[in-house]
Amino acid sequence: MSKYPITLNINDQEYNVYVSGHHTLLQVMRDQLDLTEVKYGCGRGECGACTVLVDDENEPTGRKAVDSCLMLAAMMDGKKITTSRGLGKNGQLNEVQQAFVDESGIQCGFCTPGMVVKSTALLENNPKATEEEIRFGLEGNICRCTGYVKIVDSVKKAQKAINKKK
Amino acid sequence: MPSSRILPEFELLLPESMADAVKLLKKHKGDATVMAGGTDVIVSATQGFITPYVISLAKIKGLDYVKFSKSGGLRIGAMATLHKVANTKEVETEYPALYKSAAINGTYQTRNMGTVVGNVLRASPSGDCGCALLALGAKIVFDGPRGKREVSIDDFFIDYKKTDRKVDEIAVEIKVPAPKKGVVSAFSRITRTTLDLSKINAAVCLTMDKGICKSARIAMGAVAPKTIRLIDSENVLKGQKITPSILEALAASVGGQLSPIDDVRSSAEYRLDVSPVLVKRTIEEAIG
Repeated sequence: MSKYPITLNINDQEYNVYVSGHHTLLQVMRDQLDLTEVKYGCGRGECGACTVLVDDENEPTGRKAVDSCLMLAAMMDGKKITTSRGLGKNGQLNEVQQAFVDESGIQCGFCTPGMVVKSTALLENNPKATEEEIRFGLEGNICRCTGYVKIVDSVKKAQKAINKKK
Repeated sequence: MPSSRILPEFELLLPESMADAVKLLKKHKGDATVMAGGTDVIVSATQGFITPYVISLAKIKGLDYVKFSKSGGLRIGAMATLHKVANTKEVETEYPALYKSAAINGTYQTRNMGTVVGNVLRASPSGDCGCALLALGAKIVFDGPRGKREVSIDDFFIDYKKTDRKVDEIAVEIKVPAPKKGVVSAFSRITRTTLDLSKINAAVCLTMDKGICKSARIAMGAVAPKTIRLIDSENVLKGQKITPSILEALAASVGGQLSPIDDVRSSAEYRLDVSPVLVKRTIEEAIG
């Protein structure tokens, strides 16, 4: 099997790795780069635990959320990627992460890295999202603990904090 | 054992031009899968179903276009994501059926990866974009060793996951006819949660003139081995004013054209019961 030399910029750090064609981005981040905040849940794009942001110049917000379990690493050469670890700056949590802590949007914590990444993208895309839009927007990220009420509360609180800052 | 965490091995090929992609597909004919967004190909791989070679279109520049003109209609490139199509203003205003089938497809993440062309090419009987595009009378453009070829979507779906695509051809574009005066469309589907695949889906495209239905195209998915047109139901509408009694006659005509099965998402009985209602509601939505 061919090996591909690729460069990934993850959370503003450059990684040079060799990957095989069938290696997923999720697998490379977890097994080769020790970025274990990106979780393996279903491996088929249904649960959202592996969600990351990928920079995309065609997007109005400059980046978009994808499932890293369905992305082949070899196709990601040169891409800029953000995981939950890279959401905040200078060791601080971003508004979404802080709101999840404050509102108990976290119970077991397994879905949280994907949930905060997705919620960040959701609020970047639609800063004025209504509760209905937040609930629709969060589809594709499954939580088996909270029953989602606390998660929706967290996103609403983050939305307030972000809009206040503007 | 294949798992969804570690995929089975395959050789990934990343051509940088369509000409190279066509050559590679010819070279590995029968042993290669063409991949656009990957949301279906990778999920199949997690279940152990994958060819020795995968040809990705990701490195070919300029395939992610969605172009619209009043006279020429809509053209969707092979790498245009569901998200991009659903966020194109003219798709929403001129082709509501296609807009909805793309906007509700999967999740935000998979819409950012999966493509409309891939959704159609997969030819799942429950595919949402294929259903909408069958009603809209789309055309699929292939590139291959014999050059480009265009096929009407009416001739594209042949049987369960079987299509008119030849083994050495790559779908490069989908064309949707220019919107004509009085043309309305709608798409709807039944699912348990929105990210599920459809239990059943329906799309209609009607040409209306002073309240009279001049022509109709009605498509349904997950009620037969392939996405189908309901020609008998179309004939019920043609030349008629859409009244409650015509809609009743239309609903009565639906069942005889379906051959649904029991599967993990629904039962044949449910599908037969609900399909007439869904078609009726989709028409009501289209004509507003």
